[in-house]
Amino acid sequence: MIGLAFRLELHRSRVIAVGLAIVVLLYGGLIAALYPILLANTAMIEDYMKLFPKEIMAGFGMTGSLADPGIFFTTYIGSFLWPVVAAIAAIVLATRPSAADADRGWADVVLATPLTRSRHLGAGILGQAVVLAALAFVTVGGVLGVGALVGAGFDTGRFLAAAAVLWLFGCAMAGVTSLVAVITLSRGAAAAVTAGLLIAMYLLNIVAQVQPDLAWLGGLSAFRYAGVGALIDSGSVDWVGVGVFAVVAVAGWAASLVLFRRRDLLP
Amino acid sequence: MPEAIELRGLTRWYGKRRGVIDLEANVHEGEVFGFLGPNGAGKTTTIRMLLGLIRSSSGTARVLGLDPWTDAAALHRRLAHLGSDPGYLGDMNAASLLDYLGALRGLPRGAWRRFAERLELDPSVPVRKLSRGNRQKVGVVQVFMGPEPLLVMDEPSTGLDPLMQREFLALVAEARAEGRTVFLSSHNLPEVERACDRVAIIREGRLVKIATVAALVGDHTRSVNLVLGSSAPEGAFALPGVTVLSSTGQDVHLMVRGDVNALIGRLGDLDVRDIAISTPDVEDLFFRYYEGTVAGSEKRDLTTEQPEAVRGEAPR
Repeated sequence: MIGLAFRLELHRSRVIAVGLAIVVLLYGGLIAALYPILLANTAMIEDYMKLFPKEIMAGFGMTGSLADPGIFFTTYIGSFLWPVVAAIAAIVLATRPSAADADRGWADVVLATPLTRSRHLGAGILGQAVVLAALAFVTVGGVLGVGALVGAGFDTGRFLAAAAVLWLFGCAMAGVTSLVAVITLSRGAAAAVTAGLLIAMYLLNIVAQVQPDLAWLGGLSAFRYAGVGALIDSGSVDWVGVGVFAVVAVAGWAASLVLFRRRDLLP
Repeated sequence: MPEAIELRGLTRWYGKRRGVIDLEANVHEGEVFGFLGPNGAGKTTTIRMLLGLIRSSSGTARVLGLDPWTDAAALHRRLAHLGSDPGYLGDMNAASLLDYLGALRGLPRGAWRRFAERLELDPSVPVRKLSRGNRQKVGVVQVFMGPEPLLVMDEPSTGLDPLMQREFLALVAEARAEGRTVFLSSHNLPEVERACDRVAIIREGRLVKIATVAALVGDHTRSVNLVLGSSAPEGAFALPGVTVLSSTGQDVHLMVRGDVNALIGRLGDLDVRDIAISTPDVEDLFFRYYEGTVAGSEKRDLTTEQPEAVRGEAPR
């Protein structure tokens, strides 16, 4: 029965998934197409970058040369495009089985059948994981594909590993959003909390980089763990980051499932 | 008699706002039970508790012998539900939607087809393009397409045209003939009168009356208009249950509650030129209960009246 619900969940996700896939493909492809130009002008660009304080650059993920594929990818995609795309997907998908379906009355329809609350929400969670995985790999795939066409020389294995980290980052967002949606049964409230948290953590990461006294604040920001520069450039995995994202995602989804079973479903 | 639904002191508060208070009722297996009340009276709250979508604040509900909150999964295998404005997914067509909901209930593909044909529903149209009435047909098909022994419906015929309402009533009658129980919330009073064995009237969250339709209509107040050949003598209508509403000599308007034999006996002594007796339908009764007024000038506090189900077994 969860298979039926899962297939429907994927069917319902097709518009948002395809729309965001087009965005990440176009943007990632365009950025990758510019990489050879950036490489050819590395010296000039680095001279220009020296005009900015190092901390500010670090705050935006530029902890090395933009000519390094990892720094390049983190700057333009990992800490900019992907958080926005993942947040949109998380908000739309993770609020749907609980808050949005309760609001539109679909939850009343399916939850009066033998489909249990756990299976209904579980199918939604599986759908979130699958769509976010697809988007993460399409994002990286677009960069890799166009990079291959323009001779960028990106390391396919390391980029695919970076996609897995992006996916976990997205899952963590979806887990938190799912939990807030179940607690509030309000798509607006869940969206506001997710977007607010994301912006707050983004700013926290910048403040932590810019103000050495407040560097400890960076540990509270997901963006501290979302960088994949080192992974792409040197192959070193930030296992703490991977663990944090995995734990937040699983805990958020598990708590959602537990609470949803006990929640009064009011239209 | 086996009970499909048993409510014992069922109460639901939304914070300080009243949902329903102290509902006491039995719905017998195999009967069609009407649940009447205006918007905001508590019908949908009651149904949501029967389905296990919300918990009660106090009291209990047993549906087919199960607790709707803790045994929801088992219960939902044995009931079909139609909400008042079902939130179907707009981009699915009726066929896909009904196949999906049928599959969740373990029904074969196309189980809906003969019901869709009866209701003249085009299954190929996306739900968002259907009119209100056609969307309601999807709901009616959905609720009847399975073999579940209990059907719970909230305003099921809203938006259906008269022909389709007739078809709906036929489906309800067939369900009853098959021994299925139907719990029908409505404010379509003629529909309830035609479809139901018993009716509960809910007002401001409290049940004010549970009775058979026949009893409701039988235990009522009749309006009697007389045209006499000559003025009636003083006290001619001083009879039990008879109230003189107006008398202008030869034209007399009476309200008669209960047994009319005494009045008929008295009329034999008078020169009656014309008589008109009107009996109220369920609609009149409903409004009387809702407004808290019976027998013309007589008033009673309906919020404190015990429903018949509490006093004893209501006749079937």
